[in-house]
Parts: sequence; C-alpha cells; structure tokens
Amino acid sequence: MKSTTGLSTITPTLIAEHLTKVIGSRTIVDDVSFEIFAGEVFGFLGPNGAGKTTTIRMLVGLIKPTEGRVVICGHDVRHDFEAAMRCIGCIVETPDLYRFMTGRENLAHFARMLGAGPGKSDVEIERVASLVNLAHRLDQRVGTYSLGMRQRLGIAQALLGRPRLLILDEPANGLDPAGIREIRELLRTLARDQAMSVFVSSHLLAEIELTCDRVAIIHKGRILREGTVRELISSRRAMEFRVNDVARAAEIIGNNATIDGGRLLVPIEESAAPPLVAALTNAGIDVFRVGPNRQTLEEMFLEATGGETVD
Amino acid sequence: MLALMQNETLKLLRRRRFAIVLSILTAILLLVAYSQYRILHDAARRNWRADLQERVARAENMLRRGRMNPSWQRSVRAEIGRLQFYLDHDIDPEKPNVPRFVRTFANVAGFLLLPLLVSVLGSDIVSAENAEGTDKLLLTRPVRRWKILAAKLLTLWMFATLTLVCGAIVSLIVSSAVLPMHGWNEPTFNGFQLAKTAVRLDTVRQLPLWRDALIAYGLEWYALIAVASIALMLSVLFKSSAASIGTMLAALIGGTILTRISPDWTAGKYLFVSALPLADYYTGEPPPYDGMSMAFCLVLLAVWAAGAIIVAFTLFTRRDVFG
Repeated sequence: MKSTTGLSTITPTLIAEHLTKVIGSRTIVDDVSFEIFAGEVFGFLGPNGAGKTTTIRMLVGLIKPTEGRVVICGHDVRHDFEAAMRCIGCIVETPDLYRFMTGRENLAHFARMLGAGPGKSDVEIERVASLVNLAHRLDQRVGTYSLGMRQRLGIAQALLGRPRLLILDEPANGLDPAGIREIRELLRTLARDQAMSVFVSSHLLAEIELTCDRVAIIHKGRILREGTVRELISSRRAMEFRVNDVARAAEIIGNNATIDGGRLLVPIEESAAPPLVAALTNAGIDVFRVGPNRQTLEEMFLEATGGETVD
Repeated sequence: MLALMQNETLKLLRRRRFAIVLSILTAILLLVAYSQYRILHDAARRNWRADLQERVARAENMLRRGRMNPSWQRSVRAEIGRLQFYLDHDIDPEKPNVPRFVRTFANVAGFLLLPLLVSVLGSDIVSAENAEGTDKLLLTRPVRRWKILAAKLLTLWMFATLTLVCGAIVSLIVSSAVLPMHGWNEPTFNGFQLAKTAVRLDTVRQLPLWRDALIAYGLEWYALIAVASIALMLSVLFKSSAASIGTMLAALIGGTILTRISPDWTAGKYLFVSALPLADYYTGEPPPYDGMSMAFCLVLLAVWAAGAIIVAFTLFTRRDVFG
C-alpha cells in the first residue's frame, strides 16, 4: 500500500473546506472538510442519512453548499465549474445511464460533452470499455444490462477523458465478489500507475479496508474520524485472552481489562502479555490462548457512530 | 453547442417520441384524406352553390333564433360573410384538391393537434432526465447548465419545426394519392374582418394559394415555437414526465375549452392558448375575445415564450439537484 499522507507540500487534487448544507432548519452536512491527494484512494463511510450523498453532490456541483467551498485541481467548483468538472469523473448514487440507448451510444454521448472529436472518442470509448471488461456488450441497450454491468458502464463513463479524480458512490453495488475484486484492483491500479485520486463511498467496510488508503467516517453530517486505515484500526489495538473464568481473570488483571463475550481484552502491547499470563496461571486460571486483537474497521466504525449500523 | 444538440437529438429519437408524433400525424391525415376523397366523389353530383347557399341560410336562421353566446355568434356571422363572399365571386372554396388540403392542414391542426404533438415532444425533455436519474451525470460534465438547457431548447425548436414540415409533407403525400394535384395558383381570400354587424370586405386580400399557404404555415410555426418554449418550462418545473406532459395537455385543452365557453371573462385573452390558432385568425375566424388583433396575438405569444424561457433558465441553472 502506498500512503501519501503527509505530502502536504503537494497540492491536493480535491479540497473540501467547511462544507455545510442547511435545508430549512435542518443541517444535513455540518462543517465537513477533507483533502484527497494524487494517487490516493479515499474512503467515505457513513450510515444512511449521514450526509454522504449530500456531500458528494456538493463536491460535483449538483448542490450549492450553504457554506464552504470545493476546489478540484485548483479550480473552485462554484466559480470555475467547467475547468473543475474536466478534472473529475463520477457516479452519484446510482449508475443511471440512458437505458434506451446502447452502452456505446451512452459513452459517445458523454464523450461529446467532453468535446472529443468522433475519431478520438471512438478510441477512448474502446479504452474505457476494456478497462471495465464491457467491450463485448457495448452494442446492446443499457436496459438489458444487469446492475453490475450498469455499474461497470458508469465507471467506464467516469473514466472518459482520463480525469485526475474519480468520485464513485457505492461502486461495489450490484457486483459479484469477483467483480468487486476486479473493480478494487482497477481502482488501485489507476491510483498507483496514473496517480489518479479516487474517492469511494461504500457501505462494505471490508471493501473500504481493502481498497482505501485513507478513510473519513461521517455521521449525522459531521466527520467523526479521519485517518489512514492502518491508523484508525491500530489506534485501538489490544491483546485478547481466552481463559476458563473471564470474570476472575478480569479482577486479577485490573480495571483496564474489558470483557467482550467470552474474551478478555487488555489494551497492552504484545511484550507486556507474558507477566499477565504468569499471574493468571498462578491464580489457578487456565489460559488457552493469547493473541493480538486487531480491531476491524467495522468495530471501530460501530463504536464511532454509537452502534448505528452502516448502509 | 452542436455536439450538445446532437446528443439531445439522439435522445429524442431513441425515445421514439418523434416516431410516435409522425405516426399520429399520418394516421389522422389518412382519415381526413379519405373523407375528402368521399367529398370529391360526391361532388360530381352536387351543386356547390346550392350547398353554400343552404349553409348561409341555416346560419342566418341560427342567428335569428338567438340564444348563442357572443363568441359563437361572432363566429357564425364571420362564416356567413365569408361564404357569401365566395358565392358573390363564384368561387368554390371547398373543392378538394391537394394544395387546399395541405393549406387547410395548417388551420385545422394548428388549433390543437400540432401544439399537442409538440408538447409530447417537449414536455419531458428535462423531466425525463430527472426521472431516470441521468441528470446527475449530465450536470456533472464540464458543460455549464445554461448551455445544456439551451441545447435542449434549440433541439426542441428544431423538432417543432420538423413536426410542422413533416405534417405538410405527409398531408401532401397522403392527399396526392386521392385528390387532384393542381390548384397551387387558385385565388384565396383572406383578411375578413368582423365589423359590428357584418363582415368587412374592403380588407379582404387576394393571394395565390401557395403564398397563402406559406403565410399560414409561417404563423403556425411561430405558434409552435411558443408552445415548445412553454413545454420546456413545464419540463423544468416538474420532476416527473407524466406531470409535465399532463399539465401541458391540460393547459392546451382546458385553455381552448375555456376560451370557447366563457367569452365574458375577458382576461382570458391573455392566455397563450387564446392566441395559438394564428392561422385561423389570419383566415378570418374571429378570435374569442375583443381586441385580439394579429399583432396582439404575436406579441402575446412572444411574451409568454420569453417568460417561459426566463423561468426555465433561472430555475435550471440555480437549483440544487437532489435525488
């Protein structure tokens, strides 16, 4: 994994500054700020109604922020819309394309909006279609596509014109496991080889964990945590003890031990474990297993959002 | 802009809207042509003068009996004046032939059919993108929103024009199968104006049929451009295609009925539907309200179209696009 955090000397591909959206008396997005750098896959996590989609719509200029601004490749989305949009490709919410036209016609339609000439755009269409493995179905009507194929076509469309930033809302939706892996590898390759920045929102935490370099967690319109996947997970590292009497073991170890089901979690480094094992054995407790408990992103997420499930 | 119009044209054709419009036109014209053919068939045995005289007498009887609303009364009086004029000049105004068929199409279809068809084309040109979710993509491409809407408007105007032209061509083809082709230079009479009690004849102009037809089609085209602009506005206002098409059709049909049944409500003359049958007014059918000169109608339609375009662009370029 290539981490690009800390490269503050490089201008970010995308800067979201204090984004706020108020509708009526409801604040849907509240002071959301983040940056995405070249070659980085950025994950955006949040439960339903957290303000994910509203944030994405503000990033791409569909919704005007009440406060704050979005700068893409140095162009303010509000004041320099065309230049900013030229830098991005996106899928917002669902990969809706024109169902009554073929895949190729859809791609040609959007290539024309980029100002590509017919000859050049034909080559470009073949290129993006083969990137998402859709070349063989390009001449069929989109209405006959499965959700997974529409998702691929949406990604192909987003890749037209080689944008520097890809914004994908739930790109794994409708794809089978093999398809998900394919797209994940495609995104990682694009980020690595073409220094493309990728913004991904997803409800598949495991997927985000595998795909992204950095993650922001949004809940009730606010960003709760932001950091590299590794940071977020390892900040809560603990040792896991499996013993025959969890309650007594907890008493012996002291107040920093927590009981989680049949497990005993102790927030210590691995090197501090042997003395504890000795103490437990001396007290007559059977220790079956001791090992590191790496908290998953999911657990961390549930904790951060106060137990609300993601979707 | 050409690329954007190419996109809009492609979408309009792929949605089969234009194909539907053409089939409706053809079907209706086939029926009408057949009925004209029957008239021609019977005409050999019929005396058109006696026919016209009978109609004049019947209309005069109706007037004498009274109890008609003013708008209807004026219409009947105008009709009498016109028929009498043709009788006096010994011209059969209804002898079926191809040129007259094509010419009449402008009047008959211009009053409701063509505006309806243009509404079918235009009322979902924006709302369909909304309903299908494609607006999110369309509006996040490096093209400013006003350009996208302008491309839609221009494409709509183009297809409104095309609908009219196709109407003319289809009526030409359909009628030439059953009616005689000659008659493009036959004289026509226009500019009948209704004075207090009778029809004024000093304002009547004589034109060869082909020129008269061109003028009628020109006026109809003007009206259709206005209809297309209003359809675009409704399409921006409503999120669902059904709502925008429904509203447009209701406005056209409801407005037309309103102008016929309540001629006392004079504010009705400011409705755009009152001014739509431009070709009719040109031929001599009196508009439903007093003070609706041709110039008034032209300006009224222009104001409606301009207003609609302003509303459409203002909303479309400023609004937030939610799901």
